[in-house]
Amino acid sequence: MEQIVLLLLLIPLIFSIVFIYSNKKLYKPLSFLMFFICSILSIFLAYKGSLSIRLTGQIFKISEGIITLSEILMILYLFKISVKHHKIGIFILTVIQTIITLFTIFTPDKSEILTVGIDKFSLAMLLIINIVGTLIVIFANGYISEYEHHHGIESKQKLFYPIICLFLSAMNGLVVSDSLSMVYFFWEITTITSFILISYNGDDEAYKSGFRALFLNLIGGICFGVGNILLKKMLDIDTLSGIIQHGSISLSLMLPVFLLCIAGFVKSAQMPFQSWLLGAMVAPTPVSALLHSSTMVKAGVYLIVKLSPAYAGTRLGTVIAIYGAFTFFICSAIAVAQRNAKRILAYSTIANLGLIICSAGIGTGVAVSAAIILIIFHAISKALLFLCTGQIEHTIGSRDIEDMTGLIRIAPVLSILTSFGIISMILPPFGVLVTKWMSIEAAGSNPFVASFLVLGSALTTLYYTKWLGSILAYPVTELKAQDKKDFCIFFPLWALGFGVLMTSIFITPIFNNFVSPEVNKLLKKSTDMYIKRGEVVSKLGTFNEAMVFIALGLVVLFVILMRRLMISSANIKSIYMCGENNFAEGENYFRSWNGKYEKAKVSNLYFDNILDEKALTTFGYVVSSSIIIICLLGGLK
Amino acid sequence: MITLINLKILIKLLLILILPPVIGCILSGIDRKVTAHLQGRVGPPLLQPLYDVIKLFNKENIVVNKYQNVYVITYFIFVVLSLFMLLMKMDFLMIIFVYTIANTSLIVGGMSTGSPYSRIGSVRETISMLAYEPILLFYIIGMYMLTGSFKISKLAYTNKPLLYYLPLIFIAMLFIMTIKFKKSPFDFSTSHHAHQELVKGMFTEYSGPALAIIEVAHWYEYVFLLGLIFLFWYTSPIIGLILALITFFLEIVIDNICARLSWEWMLKFTWTIIIGLSIANILFIYLYNVKIL
Amino acid sequence: MAGISKNIMSKSPWVVHVNCNSCNGCDIEFLACLTPIYDAERLGIINVGTPKQADILVVTGSANYKNIDVLKNIYNQMPEPKVVVAVGACACTGGVFHSCYNVIGGIDEILPVDVYVPGCCPKPESIIDGLIEASRILEEKRIKIKNPDKGVAI
Ligand code: SF4
Repeated sequence: MEQIVLLLLLIPLIFSIVFIYSNKKLYKPLSFLMFFICSILSIFLAYKGSLSIRLTGQIFKISEGIITLSEILMILYLFKISVKHHKIGIFILTVIQTIITLFTIFTPDKSEILTVGIDKFSLAMLLIINIVGTLIVIFANGYISEYEHHHGIESKQKLFYPIICLFLSAMNGLVVSDSLSMVYFFWEITTITSFILISYNGDDEAYKSGFRALFLNLIGGICFGVGNILLKKMLDIDTLSGIIQHGSISLSLMLPVFLLCIAGFVKSAQMPFQSWLLGAMVAPTPVSALLHSSTMVKAGVYLIVKLSPAYAGTRLGTVIAIYGAFTFFICSAIAVAQRNAKRILAYSTIANLGLIICSAGIGTGVAVSAAIILIIFHAISKALLFLCTGQIEHTIGSRDIEDMTGLIRIAPVLSILTSFGIISMILPPFGVLVTKWMSIEAAGSNPFVASFLVLGSALTTLYYTKWLGSILAYPVTELKAQDKKDFCIFFPLWALGFGVLMTSIFITPIFNNFVSPEVNKLLKKSTDMYIKRGEVVSKLGTFNEAMVFIALGLVVLFVILMRRLMISSANIKSIYMCGENNFAEGENYFRSWNGKYEKAKVSNLYFDNILDEKALTTFGYVVSSSIIIICLLGGLK
Repeated sequence: MITLINLKILIKLLLILILPPVIGCILSGIDRKVTAHLQGRVGPPLLQPLYDVIKLFNKENIVVNKYQNVYVITYFIFVVLSLFMLLMKMDFLMIIFVYTIANTSLIVGGMSTGSPYSRIGSVRETISMLAYEPILLFYIIGMYMLTGSFKISKLAYTNKPLLYYLPLIFIAMLFIMTIKFKKSPFDFSTSHHAHQELVKGMFTEYSGPALAIIEVAHWYEYVFLLGLIFLFWYTSPIIGLILALITFFLEIVIDNICARLSWEWMLKFTWTIIIGLSIANILFIYLYNVKIL
Repeated sequence: MAGISKNIMSKSPWVVHVNCNSCNGCDIEFLACLTPIYDAERLGIINVGTPKQADILVVTGSANYKNIDVLKNIYNQMPEPKVVVAVGACACTGGVFHSCYNVIGGIDEILPVDVYVPGCCPKPESIIDGLIEASRILEEKRIKIKNPDKGVAI
């Protein structure tokens, strides 16, 4: 068991080194190999169940040494880039971080122990990181070369793959560690790898976004470090399990917990800190998919959920719930006005993370279960959507959802996968919606949270429906592109699509094996809900998933039965254009008043004037930062 | 014993499948008749909607692409499913989410034909979805706060009608009923009357059997929507029915006395005043901690 | 119940109206059919917007070189069974515009017209009469499509 955990940490590292020294041809087989090894290991570990390891004595010394050494290296690297690019802000933050690191190293009464604790939630995270993460690496094989070609940048793949592997290793480390100092260490590694990957293109914009991400995440890191020290000082807690054991914390001692929460907010790009995730969209799509939707941002919410025993049921919990719900609402509103698919996905990611944080903040059994399930489902669906967007961009050369009109005609497989991803985000019976149902039900008793969730969810449906409609629109535009069939591209897409479907169908075992025990452990009480025979049952209500699946089956059955009546017997006629169709030019051309042929063009509505991105963002900044500042200044007491 | 129960369920199921379209058909017949009388006309026979549907089934099936009818089937099945769930008194929030599948499918179906007119209609329908969805959810949350459960079946245990405590939400629901019935001030996504600007909106490219299925689904939807109103006075079915019928006639009258408004107006109005009303009602319940169960 | 399966088509004939350069006289009379005085809806007649949902194509005005395509297109987009009604002298023969340089003639030069409603302009009563006749033909056509070998007369 211990060996497997160690292997999960080491194998990506080994691959990282192998990638450095192998030549380009081997990347593909290597990625597939990594996918198989990592997923088998993680599945095996998940099968074996949870465990907890205490590193003492000699092993402790060694690992402590490794961590300290790497931390020093990281700090040196930060100093180097801040000096090289003349970034004062980064320099100052690094200095503060150095002080924190030195302080932790030279604390007199340091505990001589490091714990590795793998509970059910960690196992679920491990599965996501090792399966979804490595699938994305496979996708990168088909993607990156063309991407570099498109953008005219010299190949940096020698850097790309090792860094991604390093990142996967760090993520694995993050979710298996129990000692907060270890979590902090891996947390910082993800920050730095994310910086390197965001500035992948090497141009000004990339560096600007990279440094913004670095700056904000360093602030988060400092909050983490300070919170860590304070937690040890004030409550003598230095592990995540310690927080669970301690249970609810009185409000006067809440500051360190809140600092850790802020670190989580930054990592999850919540409202005042959201700009880094939007900037990060300049990175190649696999990076966006891996770091900024399915794994790294999940580290933030992972931490917040793990902290939930400390604040569940307290006033801080309510504040966090309102804060998350507000982010969910405002980011959904901003997303409505977006045309760029990647930006829509970015805002939707922030919104969904807000929903997770909100659920964690509500802190009842149902709500925390909703948070954990949403983390799982969102990771898979979002990874699928990001990868599809990347591939669409390579197919039609644009990310604008208006340009995707008629995509189903030239790239049917890709369009169906994308639509499936979108449907899994907004419609039952797929997981994301079931969790939305759970969180709205859990939020029912607090009208503020509930109102934000209700309005946000209506907006979410709007912007996704627009996109879905564009993709599936049939005969409008002749897009100039060809559908490429690359195994490296479509294997991950199919696998993820299949994953979305399977996780939604098998929500029962997922809930019973991963979510329910975790919530019981976190909140020290039962979840108040169970899933049986396709029914999600809680004290508040029942979601009959099976029925919706049966109805979906009926749709398929009807379509097959009525094939003759409704579909194959149908005669295809041209669209109605008041009779002025022009068949020579194309289906959507019509003869205008002057006898010339014009193209009919209809686009979706974006409300740019009402839902102005700048104004809404400013509004969001004001509200969210005031919530945080008031809490920091002791508003909780 | 088991077979008896099964028989009961089977009969119930059959009733649920057969009765609503009959009611819906008659309701829409009444709608046309009353409208005609309000305009000083005689109007079509009461069963005219039925004749229309039978005729449509006998027409040739023409499409723009082979897949557009799949959306119609999806729409039909999920409308029936949501009505079924409503009559089985299941979880209210789930019902609305299932109902969303039906509407989304219709919208995407309209867009998928690629015709500019149906695309305009679909886009407008997404807007009206944005307008009515929050109100429905607020209604549900209001019900939850009063009864402590999202299940409709819990309403049977109380003897106080929801209308006493949710009057503002009732007004909001009346408002969105106009949107949902696609009646006059808000019939901008699809209607028989807006030829000049819309042709037939979302359904421009549907004909024959597909249009007939849409029509039958509308009958189910009529019953579903009036069922939502019925829940306001669940305690006494007679009053509940009267409430639903009054709502229906009110919608017909509104349809006949209003001119079509723009979607901007509707969106602004719902997202300020109507949502404001709903939130005010919910806040009232929250602050005074009203419970009826 | 027996009444339902009989005369299926003639109970709800939906009309789409195409104006081929008419002088608007006929159009106004056609629309007058829908007004409370004549109330065509009592016969189930609805004026629909799209040919895809229509059973009867009502044409007013004469056929000319510019509108042949439009007329053919619209006729093509109607589902079977379908009937064409030419309303007004122009639509029947070309009327007062008969020998104009740009006019081909009546609608029957282009489409198979089933019912002619003469008059310049025809009264609403006669238009309604024409529509009733058209819906009878519609039912005939439906039966013919259903049993192609039997020539059933009503
Ligand atoms: S028949 Fe007479 S009224 Fe009708 S379009 Fe021709 S000229 Fe005008």
